Amino acid sequence: MSVRLAGVAIFMIAALYTWYGRDYTASFGDVLGPAVFPVILGIPTMILSASLVVFPSGQVAWPDREHGLRQLAALAVLLGYALLLRPLGFPLATFGLIAGIGVILGGAPRKAMILGAVFSPALWALFDQVLGLPLAFLGNWFT
Amino acid sequence: METLSLLAQGFSVALTPLNIALLLIGCFSGTLIGAMPGLGPVNGVAILIPLTFAFGFDATSSLILLSAVYFGAMYGGRISSILLNIPGDEPAVMTTLDGYPMAQQGRAADALAISGVASFIGSTFAVIGLTLFAPMLARMAIYFGPADYFALYVLAFITIGGIAGVDPRKTLISALLGLMIATMGLDPISGIPRFTFENYHLYDGVDPIVALVGLFAISEILLLLETAARDRAKPIGIDSWLPDLRAIWATRWTVLRGSFVGFVAGVLPGAGASLGSVMAYSMEKQVSDKDGTFGKGDPRGVAAPEAGNNAASGGALIPMLSLGVPGSGTTAVMLAMLITLNVQPGPLLFERQPELVWGLVASLYLANFALLILNLPMIGLFSRLMMVPTWALLPIVAAVSFVGVFSISNSIFDLQLMVLFGVLGYLLRKLDVSLVPLVLGLLLGGDMERNLRRAISISNGDWGVLVASPISVTLYVMTALFLALSVWLALRDHKRVKRRELLD
Amino acid sequence: MKFLSTTPAVFGLAFSALFTVSAPASATECIAPSNPGGGWDFTCRTIGRILTELDLVDGNVQVTNMPGGVGAVAYAMVVNERPADSDLIVATSTVGITQIAQGRYPAPIDAVRYLAMLGADVGVIAVDNDSPIDSLGELTEIMASDPTSLVTAGSSGAGGWDHLRLLMVAREGGLDDLGALRWVQFDGGTDAVTQMMGGQIDVVSTDLGEIAGFVESGDIRILAALSDDPIPAFPDIPTAISQGINVTGYNWRGLYTGPDVSDADYAAWVEDLETVYNSENWQTAAVESGLTPIWRGGAEFEKFVVEQAEIMEEISRDIGVIE
Repeated sequence: MSVRLAGVAIFMIAALYTWYGRDYTASFGDVLGPAVFPVILGIPTMILSASLVVFPSGQVAWPDREHGLRQLAALAVLLGYALLLRPLGFPLATFGLIAGIGVILGGAPRKAMILGAVFSPALWALFDQVLGLPLAFLGNWFT
Repeated sequence: METLSLLAQGFSVALTPLNIALLLIGCFSGTLIGAMPGLGPVNGVAILIPLTFAFGFDATSSLILLSAVYFGAMYGGRISSILLNIPGDEPAVMTTLDGYPMAQQGRAADALAISGVASFIGSTFAVIGLTLFAPMLARMAIYFGPADYFALYVLAFITIGGIAGVDPRKTLISALLGLMIATMGLDPISGIPRFTFENYHLYDGVDPIVALVGLFAISEILLLLETAARDRAKPIGIDSWLPDLRAIWATRWTVLRGSFVGFVAGVLPGAGASLGSVMAYSMEKQVSDKDGTFGKGDPRGVAAPEAGNNAASGGALIPMLSLGVPGSGTTAVMLAMLITLNVQPGPLLFERQPELVWGLVASLYLANFALLILNLPMIGLFSRLMMVPTWALLPIVAAVSFVGVFSISNSIFDLQLMVLFGVLGYLLRKLDVSLVPLVLGLLLGGDMERNLRRAISISNGDWGVLVASPISVTLYVMTALFLALSVWLALRDHKRVKRRELLD
Repeated sequence: MKFLSTTPAVFGLAFSALFTVSAPASATECIAPSNPGGGWDFTCRTIGRILTELDLVDGNVQVTNMPGGVGAVAYAMVVNERPADSDLIVATSTVGITQIAQGRYPAPIDAVRYLAMLGADVGVIAVDNDSPIDSLGELTEIMASDPTSLVTAGSSGAGGWDHLRLLMVAREGGLDDLGALRWVQFDGGTDAVTQMMGGQIDVVSTDLGEIAGFVESGDIRILAALSDDPIPAFPDIPTAISQGINVTGYNWRGLYTGPDVSDADYAAWVEDLETVYNSENWQTAAVESGLTPIWRGGAEFEKFVVEQAEIMEEISRDIGVIE
């Protein structure tokens, strides 16, 4: 069932892609134009994904509720990191990331926090000080 | 034999105590930079260029330090491929196919040693080829027109079909999705934005490193969360700290074949190391995968792409030095590095500055040698990563991936895109869709499309141009033979399985 | 926790042993709106280095790479988030101005303050050594009478600077239907030149710096340099102007800063950059990387940029790149 659903999803993406791709035009100078290659890609993708809907192959076992929730939590931490990196600054946000993912992966909370406390300043020092790739130490909430 | 004496002179210049020290430091720090997901040879060299100014090294010493970092980072990319299933850079993608399964079976040390030795032999092969044939090969590469490049990419994608996965339809879909993602961004030919949703962050397209790290690293975390906390995710462990020398010796022919295929792919400007490793892997699979062990931890599946991509990056120096055409991101950085050192690659470089060319060749060779010497003893250290429990290892991998990507692009958008690719990667892996073809589609798709359009522009709309040159016809014949061979092998295996079933 | 101590400790030691020289970061920042390695990156890193060497700033100039939209992401960031930051300079060039002129940036041309240009690459029109075309006059004649017979190429896309420069020459030479001329994009000037040597294309329009080696080796011939005066390194190459085609096509490298930077800070930057320009360090670095040192600064430069953008916009409209 999952394979069939995936086939439908990919088919829709490919169909939308082809639909949008068809309309790209270049005014001149380019004989083939920007639309042909997307169409060349989109149509076989639609055919192949349709064949997955009709003749699916393979079985998918999805995780149970508890593990699914853990996955969602991990995604929330990762996205939260992307959003909070500028406001919090690098070491603080990274501490949250390491400790958070560590706990979600089943580590003991205290150990995970120690891990974050050790590695977040270490990574900041490595990139900002040693490699010369600038990273804000404190975010714009503090400055 | 003038070239040989020039090469010998190059070695004598390179072998001073300062240079040897730089060589070792460069290899070591390059390996570490390369091992961090998100940072590869491109960033490693770019980061170090200002440093060589700061110390005021002369051209030879700078060249040695930067080549050492370059090769160190190339090698470092394999370490995370093998140990974590996360390629550190683009050409290391193929190494995950058999390298990670080997590590999972407790053979991490073997896999690391095989990849080290195969890399060394691949680049030695390329250096020898470079020494003997460089000017001649460069002149031949000129006659490779856009239609011929298109044919080459067709061949590459057909061979990808044989790489991985149970259902060939899924492999094809994966490659097509990668090609579709490659069309996102400003179209370099017409300048119009395609599939960018009016978002400026997508105008440069999807950075392959962002996709790579998201697809592999973040999906790995999601996948592990399915079982983590249930068994507290015990570390995998390793059987032996020391590599098995017989296993290395057993891959000798694989390594030579891979080196040859990779070198040929590398000499063509624009094809680069990724193509070299793909071609080497899929050719090797066709030639020697009789029991279907490729993709399940076959040492030959590590040796072939490693030899291939190192031979290709050596071979790619030929068009870079003699024509000034950078074949890939990594050779582009080498080019930038040479220009910074006041060496202008081009048709006259070999005549005008032979001492620098051969100094570079000698330092590349020494860097490879140093890498081999340095890394074999370090295998134990790196393998130790396998002992770290997942709850501690993966958060750090995630943090390093994020900071690696962010420190280069300063883009929050890239981080979000990376998470999105992580979800995509997870879903595809659940559906038994191999991620490798997707990454290759993303890497090669832009060039494939542009060369098709260039060919049609040159012929003013006549599609016949695609089969008008002897080179492209040869490539299409090879593609057809490859397809026929794959079908024949599949049928034979099918019969064999049937027969076995009958016997049971 | 034993595993935590050994491996990273070794790594950390190695790094700190290698990089003990990292200088203190100063407040001055140069944004290169590209990945490390490109022309804008070169501008920031070289000028940043020289600013430090001449003690015009405290400590090192911090170079930040901010790729996206051929400079559009950095442009939008400066305009929206750091308009008054006088410690910030951003690299730009003719390529960026072309994008603005064609409306591909989120803000108009006068949304920032242009400081100066310090050097430029000269555009050239080249043919293969075996080509029957011997002069720019012959080329423009063929282009005007039979535009579809030629395949032209360069390192920019259709409507990009390499293409526009060629079209300016073609129009000056009497071609009216500019869209009839075929244009093939390659990833770099050398790619285009090698394809021309392989017989795939007829004419290349691109910057001289990258392809100078092929001129010296005699593989290709330059029909015209799109500069005001002959190029010092190649005095024998005639300019387009000397052949009656009144077109110049420089690809300059320069810097801009935020729109709300005070006049005093702006003037101080222009002065510092002029010091950089006049220094031996810049003159050498520029020539080494194939640039001709050319100075335009302050108000004169701002006027130049606006005028150039207007010309580009007009041609882009003429040939239909923009509506």
